[in-house]
Amino acid sequence: MPGGPTTAAPDPVVLESIGKRYDTASGAVQAVDAVSLTVRTEEFVTLLGPSGCGKSTVLGMIAGLVRPDAGRVLVAGAPCAGPNPEKVALVFQDGGLFPWRTALDNVTFGLELRGVPAARRCEIALGLLEPMGLRGFERKYPRELSGGMRQRVAIARALALDTPILLMDEPFAALDEQTRLLMGEWLVGIRRRARKTVVFVTHSLHEAIALSDRIVVMTARPGRIKDVVDVALPFPRDLNAPEVTDLRAKLWEQVREESLKAMGSRP
Amino acid sequence: MKVLLWRLAILAAVLAAWEAIAAPLNPIFYVPPSALPAALLRMWCVPELPPLGQHVWLTFQEIVGAYALAVAAGLWLGFLLGLRRTVGRIYEPLLAALYAVPSVIWYPSLMLFFGLGPASKIAFGVLLGFFPIVLSVLAGIRQVPATLVTVARSMGARPRTVFTKVMLPAMASTMVGGLRAGLALCVVGVLVGEILGSRAGIGYVINYAYGLMMTREYAVLALIAAAAVLTLDTAGALVEARVKRWAG
Repeated sequence: MPGGPTTAAPDPVVLESIGKRYDTASGAVQAVDAVSLTVRTEEFVTLLGPSGCGKSTVLGMIAGLVRPDAGRVLVAGAPCAGPNPEKVALVFQDGGLFPWRTALDNVTFGLELRGVPAARRCEIALGLLEPMGLRGFERKYPRELSGGMRQRVAIARALALDTPILLMDEPFAALDEQTRLLMGEWLVGIRRRARKTVVFVTHSLHEAIALSDRIVVMTARPGRIKDVVDVALPFPRDLNAPEVTDLRAKLWEQVREESLKAMGSRP
Repeated sequence: MKVLLWRLAILAAVLAAWEAIAAPLNPIFYVPPSALPAALLRMWCVPELPPLGQHVWLTFQEIVGAYALAVAAGLWLGFLLGLRRTVGRIYEPLLAALYAVPSVIWYPSLMLFFGLGPASKIAFGVLLGFFPIVLSVLAGIRQVPATLVTVARSMGARPRTVFTKVMLPAMASTMVGGLRAGLALCVVGVLVGEILGSRAGIGYVINYAYGLMMTREYAVLALIAAAAVLTLDTAGALVEARVKRWAG
């Protein structure tokens, strides 16, 4: 295909039947098996499934932190070989903030690695923290912040890298229900402003429905794709609308089945 | 402030009790605290005792030497065993087994190797001080949260950067605890070495005074040594508290 100006940019994330097996003391475990998925530009895709279904492993493979045993991962059209901080930023479940760095210094960490000058780093970080309601908390250490604040700092740290792709591994799992809903609303807002492609991992139906353009339901181990559901509802979403209720019932049926399997297969 | 007052009160009570018990007893075996200041003044001009300053200086040098070597060896071996997992799995049990043996049984052999001079004292100080340092490095490496390393890697940090920007700060408070314990044990090693067999140093003077039944002088020396060690350890505690506050 000739690379003319009309050529569409490659899809940000393409998974070609990837698989991953872990060797454990009790034998090999197939964590992920034959997962194929294309995430389109500025799309919000959620991987939904029971605990231990390999959602995080899939995310790790997109991030270049986990090497697949089978298949291929393409990030922005190029095969993924290790972490790619120019294209992909990652938000972790428990935030993973550095306890010895202030909120501000946590956000500047990735820019420091890139060799961005200190003044510019500070400017970028402050510009991110302020609209997140963290003005006045820049010099606080993570232990001095609430759970929701810490998670926002972690998200700011990922956004500071200014990557087109954002991967989020259960970023709100450790928060209480109210904070979680508020953080979801907030994420819907920044995601539209920042024009990111997001791959989000969760086991919460609520979160998946509130945030996603597309929901990928995964099976219990080995993690495969069970179903892909488009959510063509406008934002912000009314979680009590009849379409949402139907969708939730349908998703719950599928997730329930897999959760039962996952529970049954526990040793 | 309240705690400080209480400590002073306890100190005063202990001294008063000591005075009350020791006063009526034989001064050759029991020294009352009221006799100590005079003994301290006399110490500098007792002809039987060697000049004290020289001995204090020698002991100080031995402690510094022993600590420097213990830190160097402890950090090197700790990082070697902690970062090279295979080497670690081979040698760590050996280290733990050696640590369980009371180190003082090695002292005679150290004297045979290094002689009666400062070298054997330094060697014994290193032997004692080295273990807490190695073990704290190993514990520190194990305590580095895997998520933090993954965070740094996902942002493109190379192994060297992960080491300096993530592992070292994450290990700092554990390591400083070990370094402090190592210093205290280096001091113990050097002093015990001097007391067990030497011709110079505070330990030697202590042994000398004891041998000549100069109980007051001995008591003064013991208290000087105790005060010096306490000062050193308090300084260490301050450093440790600072690092811990920073590393959260």
